[in-house]
Amino acid sequence: MPIKEFNVIVTIENKSFINDPEGETIYRDLILKNKYNSIKSVRTAKVLKLIVDATNPKEAKVRVKKMCEELRIFNPVVSNCQINIISDK
Amino acid sequence: MEILTKSELTHLKNVLQREPNSLEKEIVGAQWSEHCSYKSSKKYIKLLPKKGERIIQGAGYDAGVIDVGNGYVITIHIESHNHPSAVEPYGGAATGVGGIIRDIISMGTMPIVLLNALRFGHIYSPYASNNNKFSSRKNNELYSHSKWLLKNVVRGISDYGNCIGIPTVGGEIEFDESFANYCLVDVAAIGFGKKENLIKNFIQEGDILILAGSLTGRDGIHGASFASKKLAEENRSAVQIPDPFMEKLLIEVTREAIQKDILKAVKDLGGGGLSCCLSETSANLNKGFDIDLGKVPVKYNEMEPQEIMISESQERMMYIISKNKFSSFAKILKKYEVPFAQIGTVKNHNNLVIHKNGKTIAKMPSHLIAFAPLLNRRSRKPKYIHDLRIKKISVGVPNDFNETILNMLANPTIAFKNWIFQQFDHEIGLRTIVKPGISDSAVIKLYDDKFLVAKLDGNSKLCYLDPYQGTLSCLSEARANIISSGGKPIGIIDHLQFGNPENPEIFWSFQKSIKAIIDFSRFNKIPIVGGKVSFYNETKNGPIKPSPVIGMVGLIESMTSISKTNPSSGDTLYILGTTSDNMGGSEYYQFLNGLTGGSVPKVHLDIDLINSNVILKIIEENLISCSHDCSKGGLSIALAEMAIGSNCGISIELDKVPNNCKRLDYLLFSETPSRFIIGTENEEKLEKQLSNFKNLTYSKIGKVTNLRDDIMFMSKGKKIINIEMEIAKKYFDKISFIMENY
Repeated sequence: MPIKEFNVIVTIENKSFINDPEGETIYRDLILKNKYNSIKSVRTAKVLKLIVDATNPKEAKVRVKKMCEELRIFNPVVSNCQINIISDK
Repeated sequence: MEILTKSELTHLKNVLQREPNSLEKEIVGAQWSEHCSYKSSKKYIKLLPKKGERIIQGAGYDAGVIDVGNGYVITIHIESHNHPSAVEPYGGAATGVGGIIRDIISMGTMPIVLLNALRFGHIYSPYASNNNKFSSRKNNELYSHSKWLLKNVVRGISDYGNCIGIPTVGGEIEFDESFANYCLVDVAAIGFGKKENLIKNFIQEGDILILAGSLTGRDGIHGASFASKKLAEENRSAVQIPDPFMEKLLIEVTREAIQKDILKAVKDLGGGGLSCCLSETSANLNKGFDIDLGKVPVKYNEMEPQEIMISESQERMMYIISKNKFSSFAKILKKYEVPFAQIGTVKNHNNLVIHKNGKTIAKMPSHLIAFAPLLNRRSRKPKYIHDLRIKKISVGVPNDFNETILNMLANPTIAFKNWIFQQFDHEIGLRTIVKPGISDSAVIKLYDDKFLVAKLDGNSKLCYLDPYQGTLSCLSEARANIISSGGKPIGIIDHLQFGNPENPEIFWSFQKSIKAIIDFSRFNKIPIVGGKVSFYNETKNGPIKPSPVIGMVGLIESMTSISKTNPSSGDTLYILGTTSDNMGGSEYYQFLNGLTGGSVPKVHLDIDLINSNVILKIIEENLISCSHDCSKGGLSIALAEMAIGSNCGISIELDKVPNNCKRLDYLLFSETPSRFIIGTENEEKLEKQLSNFKNLTYSKIGKVTNLRDDIMFMSKGKKIINIEMEIAKKYFDKISFIMENY
């Protein structure tokens, strides 16, 4: 199988039951204060955009997941880590 | 999982004379957890000497209060956040700092400095590289985990302190295998203020309760009971996320409300959430509270009453004010944009009554909730203590002392801590006179020509082998550090950290540790002004070593009495005290040779006091240029630290050091307490003064040579140690090297 480049997006976000003071501040002090009342909630997250060499999307995902775990890119106790393959280049 | 034990539930039923409902059980369960109720330790804590001429409020409240003259007071408290930091080091450590700061503002004072005492598993080991047994993959994983914890704990502490503008001025760190996969994060805070601004804590019927700060969410649910249990995977939801900016706003709100004389009582929300805050305040102030739970500002509308009562959402404060001050207080809260609500009123009935939607959903006497039935824990002297004391330990005398000293300097427990304290803003507030890494303790300006000295100390290796002598050693070291900076000790804080108290052997160690604190405090007439107990510090590998952390504060009455650690070129060096060869628990045995056992050094309280008083006296009379205590690593390390600190060589005659050591390595690395190294420009004057003291052992041991000269030790006319300054510095900088390459 030929090796291709994949665009991978890693999203790291506090678990839903864990606080997000940054999101709350944006919501309270920016959005609500400026009367964007239709917006009901804000959660912040960290996004990493990677370009990964792999033979297929599944392999790309596995590689990224392994890297994220081994390098402690996120703490599994606090955050969820979502890995999405956007496209192959 | 039952929150209350069978006998606790029976007691609760007997007093209530009915079946408690589930909410009541949750409220009581949070408050009767070991973390909030001190049900195992309270009987012993009560024995601590808490009185002294300067003491306004001794141990037992949010923070101790000490009179420092001219109408000023300091407040001081210590707490740990071990369990949360072990699972989420950044947030756990940061919220620990937040909690301790709220304790200080609860007293009506403003926090001026933070200190921390940290304990981790090894991040590196010298015998790992040349011994296969220790260089296994598993150990490398452990080191990597410890480094991850260290990095994030330090970042958590520094981010929180730096964000709210309170300097972190000092601390202490120890590495030991018993903390592998775990960590101890103790933070202490000192507040300063006017005596007249202390919160009076006098409330009347009709006063109102205001809850302010972050919204109450589901975070940290069961946090207090989590801290009272051994660390297990399923408890990992008890994670707290810090919001230092909200904390800063609460500090400002409190400051302004104090200035306007609005506050009658203040209490922070910590472990056990609203349950603990309301029941303790109600019981301590002998008033009842009617609370409307529907008024509590919550994050999720569908939250259950249980969740609201025991949520440990951070950055919340409860204020009690008289009704007619509501509008002026609301104005302040609105100005700082802090969410708040009036959640209840003060009553004369002494109950904690919880309403929601017009219905009473819990009603219990506050005293019942706040004071858990105390336990009589069994205790038994651990068998290992005797076995390890008599264990035959054989360590060969090193062939090359240069290498031994360098490896000791690279021991992270001993090595330079700049990688850590450089991350802390230690100068903000402009009170920091002696910064970290310069002296034995931090010196902070209070007012005019009055300064405060503060230090934390601990030594789990000694406390494991002998909890009584080990704790005395921590106390002795803390005082030595205060004295070496020129401070006169005025108060002690203690943080007692042990494993599971239901284990009689662990409880025995706890009792011995308390006994040591009582004995030291009584003998030296230094009162205990605050403290905390943390049990259940265990991982799947077993309990941690007993880790009491001792904090001490002292006063310096004039700028000229601030002493430093580092000598100057040309100074003559002296040692006070005799070195003995009790090597048990020493870094030389444990870190360098991986050996646990032997007898630990004894603290002779009388000698300890004599030597300390002598140091204070000669600092006062300006007879010395520097003073440094001899502790972890022993004489050779203390001297090497002084040489490195001043960037000057030293030349030491080991034969002149008063000792009864059988071997040269013991003389170099013994951790005998109550020893000080001092430097002077004026030998004649110093010796004249020293000869006046009775029962004092001292000796001239060498000289400080020139800038960038070598570190030299002679014995029997031979040069046995000769280390180039640059090489010594490189080894001493090991923590930076390890962490920057992590």
